[in-house]
Amino acid sequence: MIRNYIKIAFRSLKKQPFFTMINMFGLAIGMAGSLLIALYIYDELSYDKMFADADRIYRIDTDIKFGGSERRSSEAAPPMAAALEQDFAKVESTVRFRDQGSILMRNSEESTNSKERGATFVDSTFFKVFGIELLSGDKETALKEANTLVLTKMVAEKHFGKDNAIGKSVVLNNEDTYIVTGVIDDLPKNSFLRDHSVFMAMAGNVASREDIWGSLNFFTFVKLRPDTDLDNFQVQLDGMFEKYMVPWAQKVFPGITKASFEASGNYVRYYTMPLTDIHLYSDRNTEMSSNSSIQNVYILSFIGLFLIFLACVNFMNLSTAHSLKRAKEVGIRKTLGSNKKELIAQFLTESGLISFFSMLIALIITLIALPFFNDLSGKSIALPVANPIFWLVIISVTALLGLLSGSYPAFFMSRFKPVDTLKGGSQNNVGGGAVRSTLVVFQFAVSMILIVGTLVVFEQLKFIQNKDLGFEKEQVLLINDTYAAGDQLRAFKDEVLKLSAVQNATLSNFLPTPSGRSDSSFFQEGDSEQQNAIQMQEWGVDTDYLRTLGITLIAGRDFNKQSVADSSAVIINESVLAYLNLDAQEVLGTRITEANGPNDIVPYTIIGVVKNFHYESMHQNIGAVGLFLNKSSGSMAIKLKSDDYSGVVSSIESLWKGQAPGQPFNYRFMDDAFNSTYDAEQRLGRIFIIFTILSIFIACLGLFGLASFNAQKRTKEIGVRKVLGASVSQITFGLTTDFLKLVGIATAIALPLGWYVMNKWLQDFSYRIEISWQILIFSAVLVIIIAILTVSYQSIKAAIANPVKSLRTE
Amino acid sequence: MIKITDLEKYYATEEVRTIALNKLSFSVKTGEFVAVMGPSGCGKSTLLNILGLLDDPDGGSFMFNDIEVSGFNERKRAELRKHNIGFVFQSFNLIDELTVFENVELPLIYTGVKSAERKERVDAVLEKMQIMHRRKHFPQQLSGGQQQRVAVARAVVNNPKLILADEPTGNLDSSNGNEVMGLLTELNEAGTTIIMVTHSEHDAKYSHRIIRMLDGQKVTENILADFKSSERPLTTEGGTLTPAEVK
Ligand SMILES: Nc1ncnc2c1ncn2[C@@H]1O[C@H](COP(=O)(O)OP(=O)(O)O)[C@@H](O)[C@H]1O
Ligand SMILES: [Mg+2]
Repeated sequence: MIRNYIKIAFRSLKKQPFFTMINMFGLAIGMAGSLLIALYIYDELSYDKMFADADRIYRIDTDIKFGGSERRSSEAAPPMAAALEQDFAKVESTVRFRDQGSILMRNSEESTNSKERGATFVDSTFFKVFGIELLSGDKETALKEANTLVLTKMVAEKHFGKDNAIGKSVVLNNEDTYIVTGVIDDLPKNSFLRDHSVFMAMAGNVASREDIWGSLNFFTFVKLRPDTDLDNFQVQLDGMFEKYMVPWAQKVFPGITKASFEASGNYVRYYTMPLTDIHLYSDRNTEMSSNSSIQNVYILSFIGLFLIFLACVNFMNLSTAHSLKRAKEVGIRKTLGSNKKELIAQFLTESGLISFFSMLIALIITLIALPFFNDLSGKSIALPVANPIFWLVIISVTALLGLLSGSYPAFFMSRFKPVDTLKGGSQNNVGGGAVRSTLVVFQFAVSMILIVGTLVVFEQLKFIQNKDLGFEKEQVLLINDTYAAGDQLRAFKDEVLKLSAVQNATLSNFLPTPSGRSDSSFFQEGDSEQQNAIQMQEWGVDTDYLRTLGITLIAGRDFNKQSVADSSAVIINESVLAYLNLDAQEVLGTRITEANGPNDIVPYTIIGVVKNFHYESMHQNIGAVGLFLNKSSGSMAIKLKSDDYSGVVSSIESLWKGQAPGQPFNYRFMDDAFNSTYDAEQRLGRIFIIFTILSIFIACLGLFGLASFNAQKRTKEIGVRKVLGASVSQITFGLTTDFLKLVGIATAIALPLGWYVMNKWLQDFSYRIEISWQILIFSAVLVIIIAILTVSYQSIKAAIANPVKSLRTE
Repeated sequence: MIKITDLEKYYATEEVRTIALNKLSFSVKTGEFVAVMGPSGCGKSTLLNILGLLDDPDGGSFMFNDIEVSGFNERKRAELRKHNIGFVFQSFNLIDELTVFENVELPLIYTGVKSAERKERVDAVLEKMQIMHRRKHFPQQLSGGQQQRVAVARAVVNNPKLILADEPTGNLDSSNGNEVMGLLTELNEAGTTIIMVTHSEHDAKYSHRIIRMLDGQKVTENILADFKSSERPLTTEGGTLTPAEVK
């Protein structure tokens, strides 16, 4: 029986190659799109689940408000881990990371450094907490001693080749010598440690042993015992503030109590963040590696489901449209005694076959598209062909889709009454029109929302790129890790300045590109009330800083190279003025103090005020910044005279090689650095574009199918109208406007919704565009034009057909 | 009004070439009521389609009010058709999605009549056909006889000079059939030229003359009644149309 079904199904599909192709291709595109999204989401959801006991590992986060500044930190104070372990039996073990960012590393027997990303101090409990095994070395002792470290396999091989690295030594940042005591496998791409490759023993980090509850700079993870009640643990965490933080604060601010602290609107709150939620739910001021957001997962799931749904809808619409041609076949089969069940089985076999071949095509499309998609999404996803579960899912989805999309046409056709179909009469009263219209409205509404989304994302990116940042990011070359030149750095800078293409150069650890920075507390001189504290970033710069970066002074003066007194001068940005309640002129000469300890208070005089400039992404407001003269030498910014960069970079590089032999030369242009801040948005934008095009394409296929269905259904009517004198254009217009009405309804739904959704998205930016009516109009017009083009082919075809033929039913 | 000479029409299918009309010649005077009879497949419908300017002949001449229309393009034929010719079909061919009123109104919409006037004229013709009380109904809700009355109403609402009826009583019982024939006779008495294809000798008796066909050719003609011609000019939107203007 089943073989007979398949044989007949094959024949009837082959008889209508165009229809079969459209149907199969549409379904395949939808399947491929959804498959890509499913793989993406599967990857997003898999983060950090590979660690043993991942489900009971938590990070301790801290929210703090103090001195008018709020911080949502993913880090905790250095003594937090030990205190938790000591106080709570439910805490099985803890581990802390003190992130160092990138470091220069060399084999101690060689002189050439290479830059390693993601170096961190870590407690020796690292292996126990995360269940990480060593490839070589002893995990009981590997990170116990100061100046020992563990490398990932990749880094170890880079420096020591195939030799056993254990016991060998490396030099970090040209200063500290470390012994390699362990090698671990490279960390999974879908883990929070993916960017880390150098793990140094915490024993060598002095700050880790300090009893300072006020500084938040240790990523702290706890592993709780399996039966821990989280609510209960939270209650205990809430007690930490009073037990530890207040007594410590009293040493710095005598007389402070929990009540007085909270009375002035301040707070310190501790939270647990499940390890496996970090990637999708954590969005804090600093993170160990960049995170995604569950919102993106939702948006993409929606798009994925939508794509597959669209494709099924099309399948149904096209099949029902086509069924009219087969009405007679059904009639004959029925008169010959075939029953409803057999007919349904026959049609389901056909849709199953189409679904099967579509899935094959979809897998091929996915295979071809994956490299591009990976590029786009910044992932390295592969088809899990070795995983039987994958194939099980694929097969069930294929069957399900075949069943789903075949069921409507099957039941629809099996309901044809033989008498009607043989007379050709039932063409006039086929049902389901409202359902099909609703589906078309839905398809186009979502396509339009996606178009609005795409346009808004790109408008916002354009806005960010063109916004006046308050400094000049063009023609600025950044050289990172300049401290590697050591004492030769001054000489290097002088040589660079002599190059004819160079206009200016400055040395500083602090450049206006996003990076992890923290505030310090300052006070107006004579005032030490903690609620009046000025939370301000402390940037060490040199006398060329403002000039090189084109930052505008709005009051006072720049630092003076000759003036010794300027070492205790500060230039503030406009945001600081709010703390002092003074305007830019009045503030000049005001003295502020920084408390480094109870008896160590350093005063600074405000000599200038600069216009606010953006140093974090546009997601954040511009915070208070103070510029101080000191020798910070992490990076060098070089302002070039023209944007003809040819030659300049290599001349600078050869100067570098002269002054800092063996040290890596890392440079990038500041506008590139700036743009990479918005990688996530760029990515989102590109993903939007792709899936928008896909969904429009599928929606158009559907509309095309519906238009041909409609034209077929109405051939007799069109014939009658033509006999009565209707012209081709009148009929084309009539047929087309019927569809445009649907697209019109879709517009009415989509525009407000799209506006609402994208406004929500924009809320995430402190500096953002208003969604203009042009964007909305443009999206609507675009969709309408596409719809007209799609429909008019069928409409014109129907309109120019000779009515004599369509009326020849007698 | 109509003069066809050596009219030819072929249908070429994959294997066979059917000669539907084979050098057919006859003429019809304005105001005449002509019945066309013949066995199935002899080319009656083909003839009516050509006379109704729905189709083009492959050979011969077709003079419509002294204008040669056989070479007309689609647009010109449509223009001439919508002002001058009404159709009645065996299967009524009403549009199911439109009400009785809307069906009858269609030809007026296509000839550009203003809505107020349309209402007046549709109401008048529905009154005349005695289906005014059904004006809000849909075709499916009517009996066959009623549907054909609506079809006749639609055919005459534009005051065509010529009505082409292809087996108008073919799907009706005899009493409904007689009713429709009565309507056609009335219209003919009011001056409308009618060419009707029929299988029924009874219906054919309503006409002035019967043309009998076989295999695309005219076999005989029976004159049943006396007929005195009175030519009326063709009209278009602009009023009277002279032969020169149509070309
Ligand atoms: N569209 C067509 N394609 C092929 N043959 C046709 C077509 N229309 C009519 N014929 C053939 O032309 C001949 C005349 O048909 P028709 O005018 O419909 O006959 P009647 O109306 O007298 O029954 C028949 O043999 C018919 O098969
Ligand atoms: Mg016929």
